[in-house]
Amino acid sequence: MQVTAMHFKRKAAENLHNEKLQRALERLQSKFVDSRAAANAELPNFEEIRNAAAEIRRKVTENLDRYLLRFEQEATARGAVVHWAETPDDANRIVADIARQYGLRKAVKSKSMVSEECALNDHLASEGVEVLETDLGEYILQLAKEPPSHIVAPVVHKSKEDISDLFEKKHHRTRTTQIAELCREAREILRPGFLAAELGISGGNFIIAETGSVLIVTNEGNGRLTTTLPRVHVAITGIEKVVPTLEDVTTLLRLLPRAATGQSITNYVSVLTGTKGQKETDGAERFHIILLDNGRSRLLGTELQPMLRCIRCGACMNHCPVYQNVGGHAYGWVYPGPMGSVLTPAFVGLANALDLPHASTFCGECAVVCPVKIPLPDLMRHLRTRQMEQRLRPWTERAALGVWSWMARRPAVYAVGARIIARLLQLLAGDKKRLRYLIGVSGWTKGRDLPAPAGRTFRDLYKSGKSS
Amino acid sequence: MRVGLFVTCLVDLMRPRIGFAAIRLLESAGCEVVVPATQTCCGQPGYNSGEQTSAKALARKLIGEFDGCEYVVVPSGSCAGMIRVHYPALFKDDPTMIDAVNRLSSRTYELADFLANVAKLKHIPGRFSGSLTYHDSCSGLRELGVQAQPRALLSKMPGVSITEMREATTCCGFGGTFSVKFGEISAAMADKKCQHIAQTGADAVVAGDLGCLLNIEGRLRRRGDVHTRVLHIAEVLAGDEREG
Amino acid sequence: MSARENILARIAQARNPRVEVDVDNEIRRHARGPIPPLEKDLVKRFCEQAARLASDVVSVATTSDVPGLVARYLNERRLPLKAVCWPSMASLDWRAAGIEVEPRAARGDDLVGITGTFLGIAETGTLMLLSGPTTPATVSLLPETHVAVVEKQQIVATMEDAWDRLRAEHRVLPRAVNFVSGPSRTADIEQTVTLGAHGPYRVLIIVVDGQVSGQ
Repeated sequence: MQVTAMHFKRKAAENLHNEKLQRALERLQSKFVDSRAAANAELPNFEEIRNAAAEIRRKVTENLDRYLLRFEQEATARGAVVHWAETPDDANRIVADIARQYGLRKAVKSKSMVSEECALNDHLASEGVEVLETDLGEYILQLAKEPPSHIVAPVVHKSKEDISDLFEKKHHRTRTTQIAELCREAREILRPGFLAAELGISGGNFIIAETGSVLIVTNEGNGRLTTTLPRVHVAITGIEKVVPTLEDVTTLLRLLPRAATGQSITNYVSVLTGTKGQKETDGAERFHIILLDNGRSRLLGTELQPMLRCIRCGACMNHCPVYQNVGGHAYGWVYPGPMGSVLTPAFVGLANALDLPHASTFCGECAVVCPVKIPLPDLMRHLRTRQMEQRLRPWTERAALGVWSWMARRPAVYAVGARIIARLLQLLAGDKKRLRYLIGVSGWTKGRDLPAPAGRTFRDLYKSGKSS
Repeated sequence: MRVGLFVTCLVDLMRPRIGFAAIRLLESAGCEVVVPATQTCCGQPGYNSGEQTSAKALARKLIGEFDGCEYVVVPSGSCAGMIRVHYPALFKDDPTMIDAVNRLSSRTYELADFLANVAKLKHIPGRFSGSLTYHDSCSGLRELGVQAQPRALLSKMPGVSITEMREATTCCGFGGTFSVKFGEISAAMADKKCQHIAQTGADAVVAGDLGCLLNIEGRLRRRGDVHTRVLHIAEVLAGDEREG
Repeated sequence: MSARENILARIAQARNPRVEVDVDNEIRRHARGPIPPLEKDLVKRFCEQAARLASDVVSVATTSDVPGLVARYLNERRLPLKAVCWPSMASLDWRAAGIEVEPRAARGDDLVGITGTFLGIAETGTLMLLSGPTTPATVSLLPETHVAVVEKQQIVATMEDAWDRLRAEHRVLPRAVNFVSGPSRTADIEQTVTLGAHGPYRVLIIVVDGQVSGQ
């Protein structure tokens, strides 16, 4: 997917004034925040499970190659072909080669954020392979030619009227705004696609080392159809998705749906191992699994390693007050919200996403809700430090910080400076006792008054024996 | 108990009466209060901006200044959190500093937490009368577990009625330099907070961090609300009724 | 150097040399994580959770009650009395109940699919279905109505128990293990949950437990 993260500030500002988007974002509270809390409350030993889940993911990142090799061994023994791709181009080429090898021209696809990283659909289209997105949200985006704005709820930014207009335009049927009818329409339009497809492309929520399996969670059934009907199944996922055992994945499955949508379990959990048996009537004859790196291995051994624990639940963005106000498109790449503020600079380059790690108040709610205890604010702070070290911040910012810390280390100078500023601001504010505008901090004063200081510093008052 | 008060740069510059209120409270709890004269900043602005060197320098300075105090009390969850949680992280790879840092951080407290759990303040000097709603500042809440303590102290005051706002724990949008760098987003977050405050109909909004309070007050007034009072918990508990 | 070699080399080089792990032993042991406490009456838990997830759940005394129940269910909803089924279900007396049943994989135009299950998982009210020559996956997936028959002794407490049962009874995992927890659904449009996406619109779970339910 094309990177537009460098335009975060502008897009965020636009989105703040987009009334329709703002109304859509209001749904995050009841649909995601409240329902996650209710779902977790059903687990009496939630914290214990969370600790175990975090430990499983931590352990995996510490020994990623060992688990991946075991996975490859088991998957291959069951007849799957495991491919390793360093870059999106590698991955795209592998899928195109598979399509060519088996003469596949029609593909159905269930959701894969990794395939968004690669812009796989575009590449396949250029190679003559028609790809039909089957997850309802992704299908809508395919029609609208838009990127997703959330990793779990891709069209959270759209109203049913938007979708209704889109379907009317593209399906040439009677317009309806009834959600159930829109869903039925999508089912009817997409069903023939499933039945005709020769290639099924899926992601992988987890891959299991013990059995060489790919695990997919869906609610719609499109994941099952994609991986059952076509004769070739290609699963593409990130190298960090490996989990040691069936028991480990079960622990993670207790938390993933709850964190994501407040469900105790997703409607379908499919554990896929190897190819169609001799006497079976359904299932893929060929199973290809692509493990994508795209920068993940470079996070190992660095302060960002914990980010690889991520199980893509979306809880962080659901709870992030910044995301709740600006929506996902502002983040300018595949992954929005707090996890995107770490992954985007990590994968597409620090300099291409300078604002993302800074677009946070470090309120810490993301870290509180992360089911695998990723210390997201710490990771964002680390990226801010790296930006500083690489001199990527504006000189004015570095200068201001330099002046501040220079003064703060020199109490006598600091005392004089504070005394002057306190007095100056008090005078500027006058009787109103607040300022509507102040040079240098228009970011504040555009939307807020600045309450005036008392006029004398605590230091001076205390020193002169005052008690108030 | 010998308590060192770290007033914080914001209180020093913008609202000294919070510092004096903190002293009154600590003294009424039986503490001897000292205010190390050379204190300036805890280093958080640099730390959060990714400038670790200056943050460490300011941390060293603060550690030295508060060396002789049994406790360090801070009328700010964000600065107390910096000292308690982030100083150890800053110096985790420095064996020459880590002991001193851990000693300091383990005896550093946010004001309401200290008053409730350490000093165990029984009688609240304040005379506030009216309804108030409490905003949970992020660092105090999530780094230090400050949530029940301010409410427990406030409910000891006979004239006070507390009404909880919706989303009391949602960030107000201050975030230090964020409030200027991403001013529009910050103001939008502040606006939502102000809406929740208005919905309570409370006479005052109270919090433990001046950054949040300036942000909230700034947005309230710009929205045309000149009546809702914006008070630091120290001001309410210590009885300082004077309008700034 | 191939991509595989490059990736593995980068990972190995970044690995902390002080951390030891015996992956083979760990996988052999496949230790369980923490499990939430569950009530003792697993059948009750299973039925309650399945109903909560929008399946229609009915108990019958014996499997011979199943065809009559299915006929009633289909009639109530004005659905045709015509289905495909797993071969294991074919021996029930469908003819007596007036239902035309074919033991085969489902096609796009089949409206009702009747299956058994490998196990029912009480914790979440989930059906565990295994792929295989006699358990075509399409039967529970393509038709709009899925009927699943679960016997009391097939209901286990947790997915952990299910894996142990699977390991004991099968040498290796089948091609597909599908956990089904109700009718297909989507909430992609305005986060409003709508039942009936690409899979079945309705799921009827018939629990054979030696008792008759109130229904």
